[in-house]
Amino acid sequence: MAAIIRRIGCRAISNFAAKNVVAPKAVGAIRLSSTTPAPPAEDKPTFRKPNEAARLNLSNFGRYVAECLPKYVQKVQLTAGDELEVLIAPEGVVPVLQFLKDNHLAQFSNLVDIAGMDVPSRQYRFEVIYNLLSLRFNSRIRVKTYTDELTPLDSCNEVFKAANWYEREIWDMYGVFFANHPDLRRILTDYGFEGHPQRRDFPLSGYVELRYDDEKKRVVCEPLELAQEFRKFDLSAPWEQFPNFRNANPPAETVETKQETPKK
Amino acid sequence: MAGREAVRKAVQQVRPILSVDREEARKRALNLYKAWYRQIPYIVMDYDIPKSVEECRAKLREEFERHRNVTDVRVVDMLVIKGQMELKETVEIWKQKGHIMRYWKESQDPKPTDFLSKFLQGVN
Repeated sequence: MAAIIRRIGCRAISNFAAKNVVAPKAVGAIRLSSTTPAPPAEDKPTFRKPNEAARLNLSNFGRYVAECLPKYVQKVQLTAGDELEVLIAPEGVVPVLQFLKDNHLAQFSNLVDIAGMDVPSRQYRFEVIYNLLSLRFNSRIRVKTYTDELTPLDSCNEVFKAANWYEREIWDMYGVFFANHPDLRRILTDYGFEGHPQRRDFPLSGYVELRYDDEKKRVVCEPLELAQEFRKFDLSAPWEQFPNFRNANPPAETVETKQETPKK
Repeated sequence: MAGREAVRKAVQQVRPILSVDREEARKRALNLYKAWYRQIPYIVMDYDIPKSVEECRAKLREEFERHRNVTDVRVVDMLVIKGQMELKETVEIWKQKGHIMRYWKESQDPKPTDFLSKFLQGVN
């Protein structure tokens, strides 16, 4: 019976092949066309393929974090294929970081960096991004939260001593205030500098310029005449800019977490 | 019901920076003013600036008056925090003479207001 089926299948394939491909006459050619060749491994060295097992691990861990801290974790996502991001509410910075540092399954004991981001169109325009590293599990995680100009964030200096200078940087560059920081003051700008230079509405040239005044024998500060007003640039282009990255990893994939709907 | 919703939307619950009400914010601002006021003689002495104590106090008052119509408690707090940082920078002599003299803006010409001076400067 099996032999019959095989023969029929073979004939069907040979018919199919005869119609579509250049008519093969030899039996060997039929045999060859009957085995469907494996799809050629797509060979794009321009972007990194994430490891499926690592992705699964990361999304499971993200789900675990969301289950452990349902009050603070708002969203868990994988960016660029295999980078885990946990998006949290601003009041949960200290508990979430403490959890990630002290949980035995996480042990993210290194704070690599704190970064800031400014999107003026949002209601909470600043994003503060904590990059953590777990040496024990050789893995990284990113914790993101949000704030605005006047809402203070809790300082995580108690959890990570490394946060001291990073938070001063964020304060200096973006003007995000960190409550309970032991020594919050400027770190990158000059004394007497006004404004926060990494904000999107801060002009590239600054508002003032300094020069040495020979009469007064000191450096004086004068307001700068801005060449143009604040402009909104339309950066979208009609042509494709990175065709090599057409099939790249998606920028962010949400990891489904069990979210309990808050009772009203 | 709709009214209550509207009120909830209008009155946004925010996290205070330092002060919870206007009175507290006002006290903080006054304290900062007093701290600056008391430090001014030492600042004049340490930095050796060509200004008298009275002139500095007038400038201090002017800087505070600049923000007199700020009513938001959180904005007041933020200004107080920045003023406090500035006071510390000044008192610890992290600043230099030029930074202190920057408050007077001596090298800047005042902007022309009447027609003739605008005409003479070539500004319309």
